[in-house]
Amino acid sequence: MLRLILLAAVVLAVAGWFLSAPSKLSNDDLPAHQADPVAGERIFWAGGCGSCHATPIDGDRAQGEDRLALGGGEEFHTPYGVFRAPNISSDKTDGIGGWTALEFVNAMQRGVSPEGKHYYPVFPFASYARMEISDVLDLRAFLDTLPAVPGQAADHELKFPWSVRRGLGLWKLRYLSSEPVIAVAADDAAVQRGRELVEGAGHCGECHTPRDLLGGLQQEHWLAGAPDPEGKGRVPNITPASETLSDWSIDDLAYYFESGFTPDFDTAGGTMVAVQENLAQLEPADREAIAAYLKAIPARTAPDD
Amino acid sequence: MKKFLRFTLTLGASLGASMCVVAVAMAEHSPQHKRHELMEAVGDAARPLGGMLRGKMTFDAGVVMQSLTTWRESAEAFGDLFPAGSETGEGTEAAPEIWTDRAGFDASLAKFLEDTNTAIAASPQTLDAARPLIGAAFKNCKGCHDKYRIEDE
Repeated sequence: MLRLILLAAVVLAVAGWFLSAPSKLSNDDLPAHQADPVAGERIFWAGGCGSCHATPIDGDRAQGEDRLALGGGEEFHTPYGVFRAPNISSDKTDGIGGWTALEFVNAMQRGVSPEGKHYYPVFPFASYARMEISDVLDLRAFLDTLPAVPGQAADHELKFPWSVRRGLGLWKLRYLSSEPVIAVAADDAAVQRGRELVEGAGHCGECHTPRDLLGGLQQEHWLAGAPDPEGKGRVPNITPASETLSDWSIDDLAYYFESGFTPDFDTAGGTMVAVQENLAQLEPADREAIAAYLKAIPARTAPDD
Repeated sequence: MKKFLRFTLTLGASLGASMCVVAVAMAEHSPQHKRHELMEAVGDAARPLGGMLRGKMTFDAGVVMQSLTTWRESAEAFGDLFPAGSETGEGTEAAPEIWTDRAGFDASLAKFLEDTNTAIAASPQTLDAARPLIGAAFKNCKGCHDKYRIEDE
């Protein structure tokens, strides 16, 4: 009997080891694409890379041009422990300037480092997995134009069992998918474009959708609002079921993204301030597309709201 | 005994009621309440200005001046409504930085007043003339909120 239990344990461990192995794309998966840094800048602002990766100035978040100095170092205090954003500047040794295009795509869309290690989903690769690969390559071309920042951020400090990176392979089996979350009308170009931006690069769901016990997004409550990941208050519901947003027109939403003003001329607050400042850098058509998507998705409520 | 009980209950109820009245009256005169009301007035005045800038409302020079005057009066009154002891309570969204960085907060208020006064002095008669003036004054909302307001939700 003991032998049987031991055998079962070994089989499970071996199966777990293989199932948790990082899965990567190969060069054959990359499309023939001339990477365009100008198109990549649009992705950069939609994704708000600088909001996590720009080096804080005297402990405060970077603003203006400083958002382009991606030396990392920002800390995120979460129930899992402390995460620190790494250097993603074009520095060849401390940043990601030395990475191949394929290594960059695997980091963004498979959550795997060039050394073959899993990234934690605090880096929202589970959203970026839904991006077009060509957009990811354009983004890389834009990042290459930004300054090289020397120096590396300290490591994350996580609690057990979260400190075991290999376990993330199982998390990815359950939560990593390139399939869109919401089915939208194929003939509505604005909503389609909005979906790409919201579900992909913009990674809006990472804060606005509640998570389950394993930290995966509950897609049946997509964008229905969630507890603030930093522990205070709530991130609002942004589906048509939202009490606040149901009165906002597409135009009101687009104006909010552009100016930071709500229809009542209150201003954005909390972490949305930085998000809005990034969205302000987009073309008007992209802001309208995001707004059109938010009006088109199903009305949902959060389980705990 | 029954009479005594009724007396106690009545006394208790009227005491409770009068305490509620006092509490409401105090809240109405508290700095937290006053500055909240004032901020609401600033928001109400902002709405037609924003509507005109967005092309949602017809330009009206008189309404513009009216709103700007509300802003001026509020900017002048705000400074006194953040005394020591009013840092928290009554759901205030005032950030601790108002008290730890009082000079910075006062400078933000002064800037709001200055930009508003500039717009009033110019007395713009067309939307094109009003746009940059109102825009400059509007910027102060975000600048101050980002630093000196906390978001509870």
